[in-house]
Amino acid sequence: MTLAASVPDTWIGTLMAAVRRSPAIRAVDAAREEEAVAIACGATLSGGCGAVLIQNAGLFNCGGVLAGLVNLYRIPCFFIVSYRGDRRDPVYYHEPKGRVTEPTLAAWRLPFAIADRAADLEGQVVCGVEAAARSGGPFVLLITGEDLA
Amino acid sequence: MTARKPLLEALVSMLAPDDVVVSCLGANSRYLPHLAVPVPVFALCDSMGAAIPLALGMALQRPDRHVVALEGDGSLLMCPNVLATVAACRPPNLTALLWVNGHYESSGGQSLPAAPLDWPAVGRGLGIAHVARVGDVAGLRAAFPKARAARKPALLVLDVAFDPAEPIPPYSERPDQIRARFQIA
Repeated sequence: MTLAASVPDTWIGTLMAAVRRSPAIRAVDAAREEEAVAIACGATLSGGCGAVLIQNAGLFNCGGVLAGLVNLYRIPCFFIVSYRGDRRDPVYYHEPKGRVTEPTLAAWRLPFAIADRAADLEGQVVCGVEAAARSGGPFVLLITGEDLA
Repeated sequence: MTARKPLLEALVSMLAPDDVVVSCLGANSRYLPHLAVPVPVFALCDSMGAAIPLALGMALQRPDRHVVALEGDGSLLMCPNVLATVAACRPPNLTALLWVNGHYESSGGQSLPAAPLDWPAVGRGLGIAHVARVGDVAGLRAAFPKARAARKPALLVLDVAFDPAEPIPPYSERPDQIRARFQIA
């Protein structure tokens, strides 16, 4: 991965703090999630490997750019998405987002996996990046706050 | 007000070998295949607002290339926030040309919301370091080299005539062809 474009939430902010310490990855703070997707695609189209780190609410903003850029031009694009509102999320107001996250991913035909914190997280990221590269499209790794503990 | 095609032709004539062009959907993307552009072009056909962030990702990934983004005012009005993202990244190798005609040309020529938009002020207000307004071909010929030489994120605001009868050519390339042909050495 050479570039990570992000709009943070609490969990993604923690992850991006680690990304910023990497000398190999350019961290880009985007103002809006659709931008982050296009920025990552631009890096990939020009010889790098871009990734997108956003909250699930932000992923919901990205239907247009997923259809009209990532899928239309078959650009590999790996996402790490915080799964707010799942059963492990302690914050009550995220619950509506949690209810629709997996149905939305399914409806948008976005390949995804839910990170297993008991297994090798680094390996799951590598698998996701490789899956996006193989398919020439998006792949979403859903994470919870616990995954970052 | 100047028509689109002479401005595009002037831009193409000024492109340097290390340039890369990202074009917004619509008329620009439809014209470019007919203008013998001498540099890599990534032409969008269905993603409003993606040209500048796509160009930003390229500019950050390839600091050895100068990336020229062509964006429409309708598209940028959907996501002007991207200018703040560009300003924060401070790429010295990104020039955005904003084609302002006050209409959603590709979707049937509807008017943008009738607000007195001051795009240079928007650009400056969101932190773009080099902003200039261009009203004709001579202005573009003067402004584009300055934007490139500024070595700062640049926004050129082009006032373009809206002509509903303009014979814009149809799309001549499919996305898979555009993607396959787009290679930056």
